[in-house]
Amino acid sequence: MKKIFIATLLVISLTPAFAVTSMKATVNGMVCAFCAQGIEKRISKMPATKAVYVDLKKKTVVVEPKEGMSLDQKAIMEEVKDAGYDIVKVESVPKSVAEIKAELVVDK
Amino acid sequence: MKLWILFITSLLVSLTVQAAPMGFKDSWMTMGDFSKTFREATTNYALTPRDAIGLTSTYMQTDNQSQRQMNNELTYTRLLKRWNMPDAQANIWFIGGIGETRGNFFNGAKATLSPGMQADYETTRLYASANARIYVADGITNNIVSARTGFSFYEANYDETQPWIIVEARRMSMVSNAYEVTPMLRLIHNRFFVEAGANLDGQPRLSFMYVY
Repeated sequence: MKKIFIATLLVISLTPAFAVTSMKATVNGMVCAFCAQGIEKRISKMPATKAVYVDLKKKTVVVEPKEGMSLDQKAIMEEVKDAGYDIVKVESVPKSVAEIKAELVVDK
Repeated sequence: MKLWILFITSLLVSLTVQAAPMGFKDSWMTMGDFSKTFREATTNYALTPRDAIGLTSTYMQTDNQSQRQMNNELTYTRLLKRWNMPDAQANIWFIGGIGETRGNFFNGAKATLSPGMQADYETTRLYASANARIYVADGITNNIVSARTGFSFYEANYDETQPWIIVEARRMSMVSNAYEVTPMLRLIHNRFFVEAGANLDGQPRLSFMYVY
């Protein structure tokens, strides 16, 4: 009984309390860090944003929501457009920014 | 005392850095371009993703300093067209100013206009741009045309410093009809953009951009 209790505690402790779903966008025209500042700055200011990751080599922008909040995909797309770029593809990915960043770094 | 005032003014006054001449919507951008014959400083604010207004001071002088001219202008920058491609971006810009000019070869201040155009193309490794601007006042016409090209040593990511080699050919009618060729090292890191070099006569050149 004690073993079952410990195993249950272990499983609970290893299960994320919150399943993260990030928004991953492929962006055209994003060639220069200096010019892409607007994407990070503007999306970071949005109330539901926990983290933003910009990857110039993969032409990717990833946005992770704060716990219990959902991202306004349309508003994010508008912010990218206002920063001067075009989104060509949007995906919902069940991973955090840190996890996606780690994957993209490995792929390089 | 006058020399100090001129020196400080000329440091504060300088510019025409040829990357994107405005930042993203609701951002400020400060730019400076300093060389012996041309110094310019601009601060502008992006009202929309395509429009910015700002203040620019421009100081121009001949190599022997026999003619000097300084413009203070309200400037308007407009992104006329942008092409966002998977691995590149290209732009056409309008940059115009209206204000006053003063110089040591005419009396008092004159109203001045300075319309100009810029076109640029950039990938993560290659850069090219062309720029033309005319400074007009009663009885005075100066024009500046320039072209730049360059490459980056490597493809950098968003949070890395990226070094570039840039070569510019520039002709300023007030200074000379000859083209001034200036190789420069460009460093881009996040919101900082700095270029430093010297023209083929050894005259140093420094420019920067900062967006915030």
